[in-house]
Amino acid sequence: MSTVVSASTPSPVAKVSAKPDIGAIVKFVAVLIIALVVISPLFLLFVASLKPDRFQILADMGSFRAFWVSEPSLQNFTDIATFSGALPFGRYLVNSLIILFCTVLGGVFLNSMAAFVLAWGRLPGRAVVLTALIGLYIVPQESIVLPLLSLVNKVGLGDSFAAQILPWMASPLYIFLIYQFFIQVPRDIYDAATVDGASPFRIYWSVFLPLSLPVLATVAILLGIETWNQYLWPLMVTQTDYARPISVGIASFFGHDSVYWNSAMAASVMMMVPVLIFYLAFQKWFVSSFISSAVKG
Amino acid sequence: MSATLGNRLLKSLGAASALSIAVGAGLSGAQAAELKVMFQGDPYEITIITDVAKRFEAANPGTTVQLINTPHDAYNEKIGAAVSAGSLPDILQLDAPFLANYVWSGFLQPVGNLLDKALVDDMTASNVAQGTYPIDKALYAIGLTDSTVALYGSRKQLEELKIRIPTSVEDAWTRDEFEAALKTLSTAPGVKWPLDLFRSYGSKTEWITYAYEPILVSMGCDVIDRTSWKATGTLDGKACVDAATEMQNWVKQGWVVPQSAGQNQFYAEGRPAALAWGGHWFYAEANAKMGDDVVVMPLPKFGEKGVSPNGTWIWSVAKTASDPAAAGKFLSFMLQDPAYRDAYKAHAGFPGLKSFAAASPLYADKGAMAVAFEQAGKTAVARPPHPAYPTITLAFQNAMTNIFDGADPQAELSKAAKKIDDDILDNDGYQPFGKAE
Repeated sequence: MSTVVSASTPSPVAKVSAKPDIGAIVKFVAVLIIALVVISPLFLLFVASLKPDRFQILADMGSFRAFWVSEPSLQNFTDIATFSGALPFGRYLVNSLIILFCTVLGGVFLNSMAAFVLAWGRLPGRAVVLTALIGLYIVPQESIVLPLLSLVNKVGLGDSFAAQILPWMASPLYIFLIYQFFIQVPRDIYDAATVDGASPFRIYWSVFLPLSLPVLATVAILLGIETWNQYLWPLMVTQTDYARPISVGIASFFGHDSVYWNSAMAASVMMMVPVLIFYLAFQKWFVSSFISSAVKG
Repeated sequence: MSATLGNRLLKSLGAASALSIAVGAGLSGAQAAELKVMFQGDPYEITIITDVAKRFEAANPGTTVQLINTPHDAYNEKIGAAVSAGSLPDILQLDAPFLANYVWSGFLQPVGNLLDKALVDDMTASNVAQGTYPIDKALYAIGLTDSTVALYGSRKQLEELKIRIPTSVEDAWTRDEFEAALKTLSTAPGVKWPLDLFRSYGSKTEWITYAYEPILVSMGCDVIDRTSWKATGTLDGKACVDAATEMQNWVKQGWVVPQSAGQNQFYAEGRPAALAWGGHWFYAEANAKMGDDVVVMPLPKFGEKGVSPNGTWIWSVAKTASDPAAAGKFLSFMLQDPAYRDAYKAHAGFPGLKSFAAASPLYADKGAMAVAFEQAGKTAVARPPHPAYPTITLAFQNAMTNIFDGADPQAELSKAAKKIDDDILDNDGYQPFGKAE
């Protein structure tokens, strides 16, 4: 109790030395300026999405008018937020959310299972598998797109949600990330669960998963952002609006004659909002996980 | 035991295979009239193509049209992927200069006999040129529209500065007049850059070859010799180096809108750019902001004659099309559909059919874009119709970007010419285009 009181009560010394701290003010102003610079493109995006005239958006670029809208209008959003028609952005958004949800859920499950087996399973040649797994990480997506497309078409998964979800759920990076977390769990915990008669899956599910929520959140966020921003693969594999995500849909506004900045800006805002909510929801886990993995205990 | 199990498994698999083949055959029979159409375009084009497909389906019960709309920027990559994956659609839209490559690669079939004869007869000369494969002279693609580039200015500004406004292809500015105009405009109040070459479209876009190659041709050279199909000695020859050096000089003088300045400098407040070297589509943008002050002029004559580009996105039928007759029927229906034409007319579509031109007041005599239409008929030179075109254009794009950024024109054009010739050599001359060495 007394500790709380003393901590919350300013000391007399602090009162006496309460002068303007020039250094702190300079730092604050510097941080504020950097923050404004960083935020300005997002702000510009939002402001431009409220200008219905695409020519005006272009004409305003290059001056401070780009950050100001005299008569804000939601027309761009109402124009594109449709579920049917030539460019059904409502549908694209829902498609993206479905793909995001399934990929993240399946990805977290698959990657953590693989990591558990690698960390605690009786796997012959584990070191080789682990090395090969890390080696896979350097293979760029672009280099496997064509063979993968051929495979997907052969098994009849072209233009489907499955084609956009299944190939990207498992990832060497995330398996390795979770693996690193799992191997730090004390052996006693694993042994105690084994003595209690728990099966390997039970140990994974009931003991290791609850312990690893921060790293799972990190994987969920990274995989989520990666999935949300996917462009090349969905572009190649989708044929119709059935499973087309919003990232591919937005590219339709960059035509060969002109760029439809008003629609593109509104669609970009629509695309940004869910991922922003997703990030904010997991932010605490995200930061804490990175801190815990960065600081060696 | 295991042998019995194995036999049963084999029988089951055999039965399943037979069933799937039967079902597959039945399905393919039932879906024989399904047309897959791959296309790109601006949002308004996507809407009108979607609508015309619905009207076609209503007029042809039993036939379904599956539209594969692909964003413009990644369209050629999508075609490449479709070919690799064996999933080329029945009908595909393509960029005209890539036609030779696609026909040479065996992707396309002639469409002359698949289309309504009246439609083929209605094509303008430049439209026929953009859809014709030079080896067999057959028509492989058709479009409602074609394209060109013109020079845009402000009538008021040019008149105030006493700069002559050319009104026909014959009295287009000469090289000296053009440079004198740039010099005068560079000192005019409010003018930051006398000329917008639309570098903001990007450093790796077809715009560079499409819009700048005519300057080279007008100055007496080309990106490749169209008889010997060799770039070395042509693209890096004196005439081309002079042309590139001159264009570089415009940039060095500070006369050209830089890439970072965006696409609106011609009609932004204060009009920082005085002239715009823009596609026919740019008229609608400029007119929306500047009204009748926009004046459309022919491209200058840098040498003995003026040269302008042509070629746009046109429609073709894949060699693997399941029902070529139905594909031809769809294209004939679409290109003659009144609502389809009206939508293109409303967006200043550049006429590729005579009947469409007659119904387009913008391009008719005394129309604001009449000089652009006249130019297409008199000075249009198609980009090289050669299978190596994807390499040709990429090499030229890189060279011009580097030259604009200050690199040595001779070195850059020599590098580009070698790259083009190497590609042709690697493909044994793309026979029958060239003689293999």
